Amino acid sequence: MPPQRLIALVDCNNFYVSCERVFRPDLIGKPVAVLSNNDGCVVARSAEVKKLGIKMGVPLFQIQQLVNQHQIQLFSSNYSLYADMSSRVMSTLEEFAPNLEVYSIDEGFLDLTSVYPCGKDPIAYGQRIRTTVVRTTGIPVCVGMGPTKTLAKLANFAAKKWQKTDGVLDLSDPVRREKLMRIVPVGEVWGIGSRTTAKLNQLGIHTVWDLASQSSKRIQAQFNVVVARTVMELNGIACLALEEIAPDKQQIVCSRSFSRRLTEYSELSQAMAEFCSRAAEKLRKQASVTGCVTIFIRTSPFNPDEPQYQRAASIKLNAATQDTRSIIATANRMLKELYRPGYNYQKCGVQLSHIQPETTPGQMDVFDSIADGLSTENRHLMKAIDQINRRFPRAVSIAATGFDKSWKPKAERISQRYTTDWRELVGVKCA
Amino acid sequence: MHSFSDNMLIPARTLMPVALPLFSGKVAAGFPSPADDYVEKTLDLNELLVQKPAATFFVRAEGESMLGAGIHPNDILVVDRSLEPVPGRIVICALNGELTVKRLERKNEHWQLKAENPNYPDIVIFDTLELVIWGVVTTVIHLL
Repeated sequence: MPPQRLIALVDCNNFYVSCERVFRPDLIGKPVAVLSNNDGCVVARSAEVKKLGIKMGVPLFQIQQLVNQHQIQLFSSNYSLYADMSSRVMSTLEEFAPNLEVYSIDEGFLDLTSVYPCGKDPIAYGQRIRTTVVRTTGIPVCVGMGPTKTLAKLANFAAKKWQKTDGVLDLSDPVRREKLMRIVPVGEVWGIGSRTTAKLNQLGIHTVWDLASQSSKRIQAQFNVVVARTVMELNGIACLALEEIAPDKQQIVCSRSFSRRLTEYSELSQAMAEFCSRAAEKLRKQASVTGCVTIFIRTSPFNPDEPQYQRAASIKLNAATQDTRSIIATANRMLKELYRPGYNYQKCGVQLSHIQPETTPGQMDVFDSIADGLSTENRHLMKAIDQINRRFPRAVSIAATGFDKSWKPKAERISQRYTTDWRELVGVKCA
Repeated sequence: MHSFSDNMLIPARTLMPVALPLFSGKVAAGFPSPADDYVEKTLDLNELLVQKPAATFFVRAEGESMLGAGIHPNDILVVDRSLEPVPGRIVICALNGELTVKRLERKNEHWQLKAENPNYPDIVIFDTLELVIWGVVTTVIHLL
């Protein structure tokens, strides 16, 4: 008989906040929140902030009074720091299992099925993962385990919520599983969104146990195959495999709100060029080419007194490309058509679609070489730019992105890039 | 736009080995290079200074209390969080909410944080709960 499948979900606790605290031990035990792009909304909260009743995603202006009253420490999102700390956590996890699926910036699934030291005492192994990650990286994590990914997720939720678990919970045992499922609301199950929750509640399904007790066939008839699979997973029947390699993105979107309203065409086109550069960089990183460029521009829907305007346009390319310059040129052609003076633009963005691997054979290259000159030469140029920018972030950019970046989102409370820039290392006192 | 100072260094985690060109010895007709058998590899500082990349952090020293250990103001310290903080090692610890460098010592049942400069006092820790070790310093990088 093969050994019972055992999947662990390792999830960082308040990841962004924890990253800040690694280098600011003075913030441990104090209320800390991290804000979204443009410092608009709360995207990460320390336990102290959660306790104050501040919800995820709430706009900063709505909680300004609580911020003052409780001296909540606010940070702009420091993505360079979070990405670096995330890769440290993930590479630490790799040592614990033959297979790791990096599920998001702060969570990863491990397949512990045949991991020998885990087999004897899964809880002890989970604790070892926990203590190793926090010691290596400074980031606290919780570990949830079970025979399916959905149960591992549920176990992780419980490990976070109940201190008694000491951060590690294994739901392999059906008796323990039932006990937990009876007290957790169905909306906490992985993949069950708010609309499905409302519909389930109408049918009298309120707890996870209620859902797990349903016949998956009936659920599939009333909902869809995804919810039916969830029912099976909750019963320990694995339907979801560990995806060790993240699938390439089929769409790449890059858009931002501006820190101030833009009115001039030149400013808008510089911002658009910058977003095109970022999107093209992501495209090349996954070794793809794009066949379609879409752009949009809009005014702020929250200023009803101002004249409103929003437009989008797409161009399907004759030859798929990964060249920043041709993506910018295409975007600019559309922007010239869409732009109208006299509006206060608040946001713009670009979307790349019809994405395929750069190695796709076909006629594309024939046209490509006619239209753009030597395409291999262009590829080398783009590769060189990417390599330089990896070593010296944002060192080389296409001139169309301009030099005045005053429209850039506000990040007034950003911390140092402690781990990615020699000029911003944390200072340690010799006192 | 970024401007870079002359002594700009490159982050160790993204640092690519500096590959020095080596003659491959593929000469069309003739004698193979006698040096071919001696070519091993190029030297990479990461290999020397970084044992566990995920656990290694760089920090910058501020102040003069560790001069005796060769740590000068502005030096870069290589810190390995995965190492056991045993007595005798130089450690980074969180002291009153500040990251501080000291030598860890054990004396009469108590942990001590020793300065390496007679002008600075040593600190005795009476309750181990007070002491949070952040990492162990393995190397000091002193730019001349």
